[in-house]
Amino acid sequence: MLGRWLALRRRGVMGINERNGDYVLRYNRRHLYPLVDDKLLTKERAIRAGIQVPDLYASVESEHGINAFLRSLDQYHDFVIKPSQGAGGDGILVITDRFDHFYRTAGGRLLTEDDIKHHLSNTLSGMYSLGGHRDRAMVEYRVTPDSVFGAISYEGVPDIRIIVLCGYPVMAMLRLPTRQSQGKANLHQGAIGVGVDLATGITLEGTWHNQVIQRHPDTANRVAGVQLPDWNGFMEIAAGCYELTGLGYLGVDLVLDKDKGPLMLELNARPGLNIQIANDAGLGSRCAVVERHMEALAAAGETETPSKRISYCQQHFASDILPVSA
Amino acid sequence: MRGVKLHALLLALVMIGAGVASTVYQVAVLNIPLSESETDPVWVIDARVSYRASGNSPVKVQLFVPPPSERFLVLNESFISQNYGFNVSRAGTNRQVVWSSRRAQGEQTLYYRKTLSQRFAEKAVAETGPQFRPRPPLAEPERIAAESLLAPIRQHSADVETFISEAVRRVNNLSDDNVRLLLAGNESVSNRTRVVEMLLSVAHIPAEQVQTIRLLPSQNQSPEVWLRTYNGERWIYFNPVTGDRGLPEDRVVWWSGVAPVVDVEGGQNARVTFSVTSTEVSAIQLAQTSEPVRRSTLLSFSLYDLPVATQEVYRTMIMIPIGVLLILMLRNLVGMHTLGTFTPVLVALAFRETEVIWGIIMFTVITAIGLSLRSYLEHLRLQLLSRLSVVLTFVVILMAVISLLGHKLGVERGLAVALFPMVILTMVIERLSIMWEERGASDALKAAVGTLVAATFGHLLMTQPHLSYLCFTFPGILLVFVGIMLMMGHYRGYRLTELVRFRALAKKQER
Repeated sequence: MLGRWLALRRRGVMGINERNGDYVLRYNRRHLYPLVDDKLLTKERAIRAGIQVPDLYASVESEHGINAFLRSLDQYHDFVIKPSQGAGGDGILVITDRFDHFYRTAGGRLLTEDDIKHHLSNTLSGMYSLGGHRDRAMVEYRVTPDSVFGAISYEGVPDIRIIVLCGYPVMAMLRLPTRQSQGKANLHQGAIGVGVDLATGITLEGTWHNQVIQRHPDTANRVAGVQLPDWNGFMEIAAGCYELTGLGYLGVDLVLDKDKGPLMLELNARPGLNIQIANDAGLGSRCAVVERHMEALAAAGETETPSKRISYCQQHFASDILPVSA
Repeated sequence: MRGVKLHALLLALVMIGAGVASTVYQVAVLNIPLSESETDPVWVIDARVSYRASGNSPVKVQLFVPPPSERFLVLNESFISQNYGFNVSRAGTNRQVVWSSRRAQGEQTLYYRKTLSQRFAEKAVAETGPQFRPRPPLAEPERIAAESLLAPIRQHSADVETFISEAVRRVNNLSDDNVRLLLAGNESVSNRTRVVEMLLSVAHIPAEQVQTIRLLPSQNQSPEVWLRTYNGERWIYFNPVTGDRGLPEDRVVWWSGVAPVVDVEGGQNARVTFSVTSTEVSAIQLAQTSEPVRRSTLLSFSLYDLPVATQEVYRTMIMIPIGVLLILMLRNLVGMHTLGTFTPVLVALAFRETEVIWGIIMFTVITAIGLSLRSYLEHLRLQLLSRLSVVLTFVVILMAVISLLGHKLGVERGLAVALFPMVILTMVIERLSIMWEERGASDALKAAVGTLVAATFGHLLMTQPHLSYLCFTFPGILLVFVGIMLMMGHYRGYRLTELVRFRALAKKQER
């Protein structure tokens, strides 16, 4: 047990206590949390800052606004309904098609307008929000995942999580939904995480339930060696999210739309730690490198632009062993 | 960051230091027992005075009683008599009681009873005594014998104390002619003591005899003679036979001088018998119940000063930090999942009323039924608040049913469902159902089991009678806990469960 402890320390693996005490508490001011907990706020900020996000179609915050809200959706055939302060992907309704008075969900279920209204009213009463507070519902553009994920994804939309320390992207992971995760991209619900090389955007090995895996459990295809298109686009959005929120330790969730390219989906002020298993690298050691670099910069009285920060990280945190393309 | 860490560490050390210091002070200086089971002997000394009243004259009985001493705590003192008035007065270093009666007939018995403890002795101001004594007039042969005895004593001694020891030794050497002359054939201890005292007075050294009672369970004890002298600061005691210095711990000075212990006017055949008995009393009980200890500020400012009902509340409340500390450890060091930090502590408190096994059964059954009811209500598409209200109402009904069943079946445990556990259960179900919705069933179950386990540990720890006594008696321990909690706040190591979680990362390295 002690040997394992020391091995983890040597690799600079970050534990929950270290993340909470040395990073979340230190870099994330509590009063900035609403910016990331409320997806509508995040989206408004991002749009103003010129960061690419899925288009916002409409939002509703009271029961009597529901009818007008539904009418404003008449022009769209497919969209996603989300609780603004939802957690863990609960309460998200993906509508892929509609005809007559029926809505078809991503899972193929047919819903009537009453079903949708009930779902909205549940959302507003806080059923899906953290702590059961009253919430708002929002409707946004439905992301169609890029075909590059076709072979290694099962239902749902894969997303890319990038951990950003004070604007420096330190680690990235591709999250692939599985049958078990029911189309959701959350690791603890059964999705798999695949490490991504920061320098090239090529996928590495994967992690599923804290274990290292090579193949997607549903499609049996190798997850490593996939080149993510427009990788620097992802990195730029991630690096820009520091200026957007002021939160120093951030998990940025991005998706790759087949038409619109990289889009920022949401932010997380206490990103999980399994990304380390996916990348087979310690977050602690990478964060320490960035912190030393920032100290040196501060001593010299310099600041770096996002693009400089990205190239610094790509230079220092590139993976040594790139898998052969599948 | 480093500055803050140092600050926290210093604060933690100060807290721990203050806590330990206050506890050590309470134990070492205030003499408060470390354990509730620690007992102390309490001595009861009875002096029984009996005499025959002459019948037609007023009676006055004078009895010496012990003066206040810094060596003992007087728990109780009583004068027991029928148809007598009594009056206690001081005479020099002595203290005496005078019983008086206008008319008394036949065999009379009076009692004096004193209850003493050696713990929590009061720091009384010591009596002062004389430091010079005029030489008594002596007949010629005695004066010569005394002088010839004193010459070698003076030679073999350095100061007053060694002088007295030496004198005692010389006088107890019965083969010496001078000693034999002074003793005049009476070799009893009291006579030898008288001779020693006389010798000392010839040398102008003030010394007096004191009569002591030994704290040893006995029926008919006669007072033992000791010699003492005042050196300007305190009294120094000498054994009149061996010359050893210092009064043993178990001697109580009853009176000083050579006068008889009892003096009766208007009666004959006065006799005094001393009997000593001892009982064991829990030390902390002694401290609590004896008025003098409470008055003497030893225990004031402690929780024992509160009314008893409030004390009981605090006995429970002061254990909450221990429970919280345990949960903190379980969460941050072990990595156990619980429903928040304080819910397990509250559940542990609820276990006090239901007892662990029943508490766990009830907790599980009611929570399970409450949760399944909740998932059934999901189909009815109720809004959050009304659904929660229905669940809570059913929890109350369920508990009532359990109590009723328990009562009908004769299992009184079922009745232990009090308001407090109900409120906590209600809270647990609410939090659990929220967690169920937010994170899924497996996380909710994990948290529920973790809460139960943590609560059980917490309950066992919080109901430890020894621990409870320690915290209640030495509240400084709480400061030590604060220190530990502060240090835990800067713990950055792995949790035990993380060693399992990240085992893949560690294995790669070993490969």
